[in-house]
Amino acid sequence: MGKYSELLYDDIGTSYERKNKYLLELARLQKRLTQNDSQAAELIKKHKSNKKVHPYNVALKAFKKEEANFLKTLNAKKKVYSNEIKSKNDRKSLQMKVQLFDANEKIKFYEAYTNLSYEAKLAYEASKIISNQLPEIIETYEVNRNRLAEVNEQLKNVSGDAESKANASYNEYKSQQNANLKEQKIALKEKRRSRLISEKALKNGIVALKRTRKDELGQKKFESISYSLKEEKANLKFVLSKGIKRERNVLKSNISDLRRKTPIEIERTSPFVSKLTAVLPGLGQFLNKQYLKAILFTLATLFIYVIAIPYALGFGNYQGQGIAGLISLAEGGPKVAKSLIFMIEGIVAILLLVFAVSLFLLSYFDVRKVEKDLIKGTRQRNWFETITKIKQDGFPYLVSLPALMVIIFIVIVPIMTTILLSFTGMDPKHQSKFTWVGIDNYKLIATGTGLAGSVFWSILGWTLIWTLTATTLAILVGFLLAIIANNDRIKGKTFFRVVYLLPWAVPAFITIMFFSIMFSADGSITQLIEKIFRVHLEVKNDPFLARVTLILLQTWLGSSYVFLLSTGVLQAIPGDLYEAAQIDGATEWQKLKRITLPIVLFQTAPLLVGQYTFNFNNFSIIYLFNSGGPFNPSKYGNLAGTTDLLISYIYKLTMENQYQSIGAAITIVISAGLMIFAFIGFKNSKAFKEERL
Amino acid sequence: MVKTKRKEKLYLSDKQPLSFMGVIMLILSYIVLGLWALAIILPLIDMIVSAFNGRQQQYIMLNSNFEFSLRHFDYLFNETLYFSWVKNTIFIALTTAVLTLIIVSFTGFAYSRYRFKGRKPSLMAIMLIQTIPAFAGITAYYTMHSVISSIAPFFSRQMMLILIYAGGGIASNTFILKGYIDSISTELDDAARMDGCSSMQVYRLIIMPIARPMLAIIALWSFIGPFMDYLLPRVLLTSPESYTLAAGLFTLINDFRTLNQPAFAAGGLLTAVPIVALFIVLQKQLVSGLSQGSVKG
Repeated sequence: MGKYSELLYDDIGTSYERKNKYLLELARLQKRLTQNDSQAAELIKKHKSNKKVHPYNVALKAFKKEEANFLKTLNAKKKVYSNEIKSKNDRKSLQMKVQLFDANEKIKFYEAYTNLSYEAKLAYEASKIISNQLPEIIETYEVNRNRLAEVNEQLKNVSGDAESKANASYNEYKSQQNANLKEQKIALKEKRRSRLISEKALKNGIVALKRTRKDELGQKKFESISYSLKEEKANLKFVLSKGIKRERNVLKSNISDLRRKTPIEIERTSPFVSKLTAVLPGLGQFLNKQYLKAILFTLATLFIYVIAIPYALGFGNYQGQGIAGLISLAEGGPKVAKSLIFMIEGIVAILLLVFAVSLFLLSYFDVRKVEKDLIKGTRQRNWFETITKIKQDGFPYLVSLPALMVIIFIVIVPIMTTILLSFTGMDPKHQSKFTWVGIDNYKLIATGTGLAGSVFWSILGWTLIWTLTATTLAILVGFLLAIIANNDRIKGKTFFRVVYLLPWAVPAFITIMFFSIMFSADGSITQLIEKIFRVHLEVKNDPFLARVTLILLQTWLGSSYVFLLSTGVLQAIPGDLYEAAQIDGATEWQKLKRITLPIVLFQTAPLLVGQYTFNFNNFSIIYLFNSGGPFNPSKYGNLAGTTDLLISYIYKLTMENQYQSIGAAITIVISAGLMIFAFIGFKNSKAFKEERL
Repeated sequence: MVKTKRKEKLYLSDKQPLSFMGVIMLILSYIVLGLWALAIILPLIDMIVSAFNGRQQQYIMLNSNFEFSLRHFDYLFNETLYFSWVKNTIFIALTTAVLTLIIVSFTGFAYSRYRFKGRKPSLMAIMLIQTIPAFAGITAYYTMHSVISSIAPFFSRQMMLILIYAGGGIASNTFILKGYIDSISTELDDAARMDGCSSMQVYRLIIMPIARPMLAIIALWSFIGPFMDYLLPRVLLTSPESYTLAAGLFTLINDFRTLNQPAFAAGGLLTAVPIVALFIVLQKQLVSGLSQGSVKG
């Protein structure tokens, strides 16, 4: 059996007396029961059996009956009243007047019952607020509307004669002002020429002059009757729409304040409605009398029962069978059925279900919260309050929704597909239909066996060497150049900076492809080397040379970026640091080691780390330079070349040779590695730690 | 007479006079800088020269003589689909930039100004997801596109590409913009709210105008991205008519049927010039935008 408390509480914890005498007595008896009063149990039983004849309940019942009667007659009265004044008012003022009428009637009726129940009190006081504030709004509205009608009338009667006169006088005034402006400008420039004022003062002076001219012309314009009438019309229209709306919102928020301060009394003591309506979001909100929320959650219900669940069960799928398709993977299906489509649709089905479950939970906890508040005595939010709340708290969710959709579609679904794919046997022989194979693919990679797995470790080795050397070299060169170029005595810094910017600015694919041309068997660089050193270098056919060339090429490309970054940081180092060091007798080398290096490294570290991850996944340079070649089938098999990185190897596996599943497994392995790498870096980064919360 | 001679010899610089070693070091510095500048410029000059050299045949050679001609540009414009590649690239780049701006300006604002449930975990999650290389999901993109386009035929492969570019940039750009908006005083918001602005109005009238420099950088980066990328267009776009510049120009040096290296040089030159100009003009802003996003890692 539920327990009642003697007091009611609103959402900031203020306590209120109960008005419901029956519940109040019950609460008191229950309190005695907890104090081990032997009679209490008996009394409670008696009290409950007398529920219907309890004086308060009788009074309340009578009140409800009368209220129903009153509301019925009020409706009729309102109709009569609105018909009476219909002819003289437009829709808005009619609506407001009827509202005022309604409020006045309600004041009369509810006044007698304010001590009986909080409902009556709320109705009474809300009506009072309306009858206090609404007349003023109606008046503002009518005054403005009448004035608008007048203005419209006047606008029709503006004589063309006066108009042209005003126009002429305006034009005259304008040319006069323009001449004035010119004169004053010349005077200012004269002052500048004789060095009385600075360049900036001249500029500001001219701006100020122009502004004055504009203001004066603007004032003069109002002498034209039609112009000033039009302006007034625009103003009036604004007041009539936006102004009135704001006033009415103030009224509504006053009523909301009142609702926050007026508690509610209900007989329920446990939040069972939320449990009963959990399967049907929207219904609970409806029973809580929160109609806006009810509409929104009904849409959620529709989504769940019409889209999410049927889709997960396999209805409305493009080809798959919902979640079941994830298990079967189109096995035994018709020839056109593709396992991959079944898999993706299964993933979509899972995501939809996750979404549906979160909607269920959201709705359940929402109804429960409101219900618990009601039991405590806090009134539920009405339509206006809900809108305000959604606008305030819901804003970040609403505006992030497009981002979420795109991320789910572009990132989550494909990545989940890749993860699942790595557990299947999708290869050239099993393109449209494949089955689950467990962790076989990972086993192949770990033990270095099989067609694709055997070269994994050697490729990983080269990838790591490549990442470390190419990035480090680029950083060293870029940094060194930055320090040299930052020397005060070097002339032509701008030239060097522009030149050093080029490798970064020219799209990398163009330079890589062009270098690829120049390094080919009879390309320019090969021929140049042949001329000078008398050796014919087949860079693209020699694994070692190809690797060295690639590292040098990446140094060429990557140093530019490091150069720009470090130059920016170097320029920002305050000069006094060096002066102080100089006074203390530091050598150039010490200055570099103790001042320059720490500052530059500290500021660019995250970006430099980013360079390492970038090079780890630097597909374009490998693929565009020599397509991963030269090939060495005895050591690297037929798929990979000697300069292939993991990323280009994955590309060849999945895109060129259709070993999708093992490609997916390698992708997952390196992604996990990179993610751990990034996680550590990110967690320790200043930006994340200093995040204000 | 003697006096003036002395004056000429007066050392006026506020730097210390150079020692002998100093002079050598300075000369060395110039040599290093000059050599590196040459290493950068020479290949690029070779590209420019080849593009204009009428003597170059299908393959670019070193020893052929120079004769100025626009033959290769002519070939590029008339024999290849260069213009449709340019058109495709600009379309993709523009749409990507606009889409990224719309999405990111909202999320950056929300993450900077609101303390909502799940804020920090979601921030962390998108930062981690970000590290997964874009083509991890490429097998799925392929199939997803075929499914969607069979239901909605207007959904072209280029649109898929745009979505991938925009989606891939959401996380890092949100983070960059959030950092920038964090630096805008919240007192401005409070003042605006006191004057009756709604959240949307604060976003539109207060935050967006102030954050415009960073928005411009984000737009620029998202615009340049499709010009630089080769992998995704190559995989997703199947017909030469729908290629972007990177994928299209590669056919000029990779495919034996269409091989023409000088024409590639010409096309590369035409593509590079506007981008390089943009980079040189906006050098400072681009670099500062980079370091602002340094947390990206």
